Amino acid sequence: MSWILASPIIIPFATAVLAFLFRAGPEGRWLSVIGSAALLIASIVLMVEVLDQGVIAAQMGEWAAPFGITLVADLLSAVMVVITGITGLAVAVYALADIDEKKEALGYHALFQVLLAGVCGAFLTGDIFNLYVWFEVMLIASFGLLILGGTKVQLDGGIKYVTLNLISTILFLSGVGLLYGMTGTLNMADLHGAVQRVDNPGLLVVVAVMFMIAFGVKAAVFPLFFWLPASYHTPAFAVSAIFAGLLTKVGVYALIRTFTLIFTTDVPYTHTILLWVAGFTMVTGVLGAAAMNDFRRILSFHIVSQIGYMILGLALFTPLAIVGAVFYLVHHIIVKANLFLVAGVAERIAGSTDLDRIGGLYRYAPFLGLLFLIPAFSLAGFPPLSGFWAKYVLIKASLDAEGYLIAGVALAVGLLTIYSMTKIWGNAFWKPHPDGVEPRLSRLPGKDRAAFLSPIAALAILTCIIGFFPEPFVQFAERSAAQLLDPTDYITAVLGEPVIAPVAAEPVATQPVSVELTSGEPVTPTREVQQ
Amino acid sequence: MNDQGHFLFLISLLPFLGAVIPGIMIRAGRNACASFTAVPTVLALILLMILAPDVLRGEVITAEVMWLPQLGLSVSFFLDGLGLMFAAMILGVGLLITLYARFYLSGDDPMGQFYTYLLMFQGAMLGIVISDNILLLLIFWELTSLSSFLLIGYWKHLPEGRQGARMALAVTGAGGLAMIGGMLILGHVAGSYKLTDILQAGEAIRASEWYLPALILILLGAFTKSAQFPFHFWLPHAMAAPTPVSAYLHSATMVKAGVFLMARMWPVLAGTDAWFYIVATTGLVTMVLGALIALFKDDLKALLAFSTVSHLGLLTMLLGFGTEAAAVAAVFHILNHLTFKAALFMTVGIVDHETHTRDISRLGGLRHLMPITFAIGTIAALSMAGIPLLNGFLSKEMMLEEASHTYWAGSTWAVPVLATLGALLSVAYSFRFIGHVFLGPVRDDYPHKPHDPPMGLWAAPALLTVLVVVIGVAPFLAEGIVTAAANAVTGADLHPHLKIWHGATPALWMSIIAVLGGGALLGLHKPFLSAWEAAPRPEAKAIFDRLLAAIIALSRGITEIAHNGAISRYLAVFVVTSVALGWIAYSGSALSAPTRGLLPVPAVIGIGWLMLIVASVAVVILHRDRFTSLVLIGIIGLTISAGFAYLSAPDLALTQISVETVTIMLLLLALHFLPKTTPVESSVLRRVRDGVIAVVAGGGVGALAYAFMLRDISTISQFHLDNSYEGGGGTNVVNVILVDFRGYDTYGEIIVLGIAGMVIYALVQTLLAGPVARKLRGGGAMSEVLREGLAVTHLSRDRHPLMMVVVTRVLMPIAIVVGAYIFLRGHNEPGGGFVAGLVVAIALLMQYMASGFAWTQARKRIEYHTLIGFGVIIAGLTGAGAWLSGTPFLTSAYTYVHLPPIEEFELATAMLFDLGVFLTVLGAVMLMLYSLSRIARHAGETVNVEAMDYDPADRVTERGAET
Repeated sequence: MSWILASPIIIPFATAVLAFLFRAGPEGRWLSVIGSAALLIASIVLMVEVLDQGVIAAQMGEWAAPFGITLVADLLSAVMVVITGITGLAVAVYALADIDEKKEALGYHALFQVLLAGVCGAFLTGDIFNLYVWFEVMLIASFGLLILGGTKVQLDGGIKYVTLNLISTILFLSGVGLLYGMTGTLNMADLHGAVQRVDNPGLLVVVAVMFMIAFGVKAAVFPLFFWLPASYHTPAFAVSAIFAGLLTKVGVYALIRTFTLIFTTDVPYTHTILLWVAGFTMVTGVLGAAAMNDFRRILSFHIVSQIGYMILGLALFTPLAIVGAVFYLVHHIIVKANLFLVAGVAERIAGSTDLDRIGGLYRYAPFLGLLFLIPAFSLAGFPPLSGFWAKYVLIKASLDAEGYLIAGVALAVGLLTIYSMTKIWGNAFWKPHPDGVEPRLSRLPGKDRAAFLSPIAALAILTCIIGFFPEPFVQFAERSAAQLLDPTDYITAVLGEPVIAPVAAEPVATQPVSVELTSGEPVTPTREVQQ
Repeated sequence: MNDQGHFLFLISLLPFLGAVIPGIMIRAGRNACASFTAVPTVLALILLMILAPDVLRGEVITAEVMWLPQLGLSVSFFLDGLGLMFAAMILGVGLLITLYARFYLSGDDPMGQFYTYLLMFQGAMLGIVISDNILLLLIFWELTSLSSFLLIGYWKHLPEGRQGARMALAVTGAGGLAMIGGMLILGHVAGSYKLTDILQAGEAIRASEWYLPALILILLGAFTKSAQFPFHFWLPHAMAAPTPVSAYLHSATMVKAGVFLMARMWPVLAGTDAWFYIVATTGLVTMVLGALIALFKDDLKALLAFSTVSHLGLLTMLLGFGTEAAAVAAVFHILNHLTFKAALFMTVGIVDHETHTRDISRLGGLRHLMPITFAIGTIAALSMAGIPLLNGFLSKEMMLEEASHTYWAGSTWAVPVLATLGALLSVAYSFRFIGHVFLGPVRDDYPHKPHDPPMGLWAAPALLTVLVVVIGVAPFLAEGIVTAAANAVTGADLHPHLKIWHGATPALWMSIIAVLGGGALLGLHKPFLSAWEAAPRPEAKAIFDRLLAAIIALSRGITEIAHNGAISRYLAVFVVTSVALGWIAYSGSALSAPTRGLLPVPAVIGIGWLMLIVASVAVVILHRDRFTSLVLIGIIGLTISAGFAYLSAPDLALTQISVETVTIMLLLLALHFLPKTTPVESSVLRRVRDGVIAVVAGGGVGALAYAFMLRDISTISQFHLDNSYEGGGGTNVVNVILVDFRGYDTYGEIIVLGIAGMVIYALVQTLLAGPVARKLRGGGAMSEVLREGLAVTHLSRDRHPLMMVVVTRVLMPIAIVVGAYIFLRGHNEPGGGFVAGLVVAIALLMQYMASGFAWTQARKRIEYHTLIGFGVIIAGLTGAGAWLSGTPFLTSAYTYVHLPPIEEFELATAMLFDLGVFLTVLGAVMLMLYSLSRIARHAGETVNVEAMDYDPADRVTERGAET
């Protein structure tokens, strides 16, 4: 069990070290691709295990929870790791063409792999302080990736990025300290019970707010998202793509995890804040995008806007809403990363990302146009692409919860998203190139073309698959939401059977507890015992 | 599901499957491409005809498979009379358009794409009319918007096409989104998303309090799609599309989707006052307004576009009346409008194609030059005007008949008069179409010499014109389909009789007025036109554009205010938000009584505490003098270390001191290359504001911490104390926590440190390869700053003094032994790999300081990068080694070893892990130093190759630093 849970973290770390040692040559980039593929395989193994066994947990160093650090994977964690594997592999392949040797020599691939490890670590940890560690890992690796290349805009964006994120992690750390000061534990499953016993629930909500803000900065929600539009358009496209896909989503994941597992003591207050945050995030993000005139900047602001939808799901806090949030999370990572990848190809063949300075892509690179249309219209929520289902579920959940205003906002934001996407389409694809350039894909060297287009095509196909066959995905999201809203399985997997005297538990305790509890039919034998 | 059901699936799938064909077949030539495009349409049409007899008998064919049952979505289709009529229209006209487009598109146009989009649209449109699930219907609905978008922008080099496409998508997309809301409410009220279920639940829905919101939202969807006032403006701009698209999507089928939806929902939504006043009024206004604008348009396609708007208004009005007879009229007119309007669009396409203009003012007299086109166009236009013996006359009579006895808000005359006015205007523009294009003298200034086109181009409109005449003369032929469709709409069992002569009814008189008035109006066209052009009138497109511009200006404003690039503002927002939300969360809740009191404060501690505060305040006051503030920060760090030591945390104290030392050293080095003072950038007011924010936030955190310190809690730490020796093999709990209990955290943190070293290296490396390096070498403002900075440090001419060199050399082995000692004892006493790494790093740092970078660097045997790498590998392998023994990652083991000369000692795997920590720390710190030193060399600082300035061993009296 331990290696299944640890390998999505160990594999990228090992790859990082190897890629780091071989950074001077071409081996590094292939190591990165192989490592990412291995990560994907490991993540799928993990997913199969979780689907099969239910929530699984492993205690690092064999110290029983809550005293050591627990790795735990429920369906949400598992799917996030799988998506990390998919996006990681796609971007690693893309990087073969996108990242020049100079950046490689400075350790691009190592940083990239460390970032993946940090992301997986954050998804898999069951310990709130350990989560902080992974945030640090991600922050330092992403800062490195962001400034690699060292242009003035990159440094400017990088400084803003690192300052605001550092401050937020400090807030996070203070929150962890205070939470420990109140509950005496750091294990998230243990915290679930511990917060119920806190003497000063008022102070607990204050700490909850600290976490909300710290994660809110990470997730780039209103009014804390400034760092994102300031920095995401500056680095290499591969870097933008992985950032856009994964980084903010770690923040969203952390919000979902903590505000379903730990901070549910004052839902009316905390989740109402989240609801307002969701609305404003959606609107400000999409308005920002409407004001932009650059391929990547538009996409960056749209990340913010889309984060609002996910927060909306969490804020409504109904089963269907959580389903929507989970589905949105998964769909969005694939689509958003892909759009940035397309932007990179567009820049390479048309010469810029400034919409006034490019054009003609549809005429000369219609295949790229198709590859753009799929994620773009999915993002805008056009049926039957993945984004439609995501938005649909959330809007239905809002209406069911009688949140008519927020449902209206979500719909209107969808419209403005269409507006932005057609702005990109009209200017970059339809409009003739202002300088008469013919942006053909054939201008790329054959190897680069394959490295660029195969990940984009793969992600687009995935988007279509989710779109045309949403049923298993929705079903999965439903199961995942059920786990989130009723954390019993999670807690038993981590802490073991709650109220069993040691003697009576002996025959059970010798086996892994999680297997016993989540094998799918635990109800029948219990009922027989009761009878 | 029976065979017929399978047919339905096939029908809906065929266009989509066919959509891939044109892209492939275009390589085989344009004729092949067009023929293969026709295949799926023909097949679907044949299947439909097989089903038709049953449907006409009143049967409903259904088919269903589940798609997303959790959300109430299934792929379910049903075919009733209304669906059959629309499906036949879509496929039939689709076939004609395929033929027409083959001859219409020029050689430069990518025909494969065109047909692909066309088939995609056809599939989507078919889906709308046979969907039995409102969610499925929505999906197809949005798909038609999408394919329409792609088709309008087909001629992508035209800016009007691009704008028109985006506008159409924005308007219909917005409507579609509203409709999603409406459909969700409808499904919620009816308890099912199946259309057939909803159609049964009409009364419950109309009685529901959600009826009105659902109605409005659904109508928004229908009105935007069917270009009803005030959303009509997108349709004329969609005319930038190639004419086959205009004929197919924007007159015959897609724009009727809204009308179709109203007809479909008629049994559920119609019959209320709200329905009547919203739908009928909108339709009436649209009908009159559209016709009025059409009269003054010179562009033939614009004229037809507004005429389409007008006729869609007419249909909407009829459905809005809510009576069965009106519904019959609506269904009949849908059919008739399709025939004559598609024919007219194709005629305009031909005229445009042959004369290279669609401007009425440049046309006229074409009847001699293009007799076939003239015949087709005239018959169709007369039908549009409602002249007897043509089909347009029949449905228009029925409309007028219904209008004649409809009251609007108590007024008996409003509807009849306005309906007659609409009909009159319609006659006027129809006559104008004939008169100003075909009649009149032949001109000699056509942009291109016109003549009749090849048969391929005129065959399709000709066929439609034949239908116009046939239905007009023998309306009973259409009775079957109209009856089936009308019954499907109303849910009643009607037997309408379509006939030409109804006697001298009011409708006849209204018709006569319309025709005579229309003719007269056309005679007065010139004065009316100048009046029209002089009159101020709101241009919907301009309003839309202004609205859009306003939204963008607003968002730009918001975005620019919020993202002004000032990090201080971002931080202020962040802190204020945190404090405000925290305060609101706290306010109102009570605190439990403290369980701990204040400890006694000895004088020394009190002084230390005061020092801490004074130093902190001093940093704030003196922060502009960077060197001073660095010294003050050092004081703070040391005081905190002392605090740790006092509070029985020697490990923390040790770590803090070494971290402090290394940090200050590195910062000093960095400061070497930076200005020594911070300029004043913000106003007093802003500083006061920031001060207040900072004090409140800091005070808040302090108060929180204080509140916690006053209260006891039970923690997990007792377990660590209990198990440190037994389980972790060490008596130093802090170290055991770091390398064992929470070794996993430490593993992550050393990676952070390693990466930090790497990032600094990478940053400096790229900077030095870029413009910064040039600035460093000479010229530029930066260099001035640097020289100023360097001047300060050059005050001492003795850069590598003998004394210091000797002392550091002597210290080196001692420091390394101390490091080893700290490392080894770490498991049981304060110390460990982290501190040891820092101590050794300090010893090495001092060599660099004493003898200079180049000298020391030359004696380095191992790359710092590699050191980091090995550190991480060792720590990782130690952790993974546990897997070999079947235990989880990072599980430790330890044993006691006895080697003869020394006492028995312990060996733990945790120590190996700690070695990894040690190496990483050392490597990272040294890499940071290395990076900073590189800047100095680029700045042109001199480099020494000797260990010291004056080496007595050389006996050379003067040997300074050389370059």
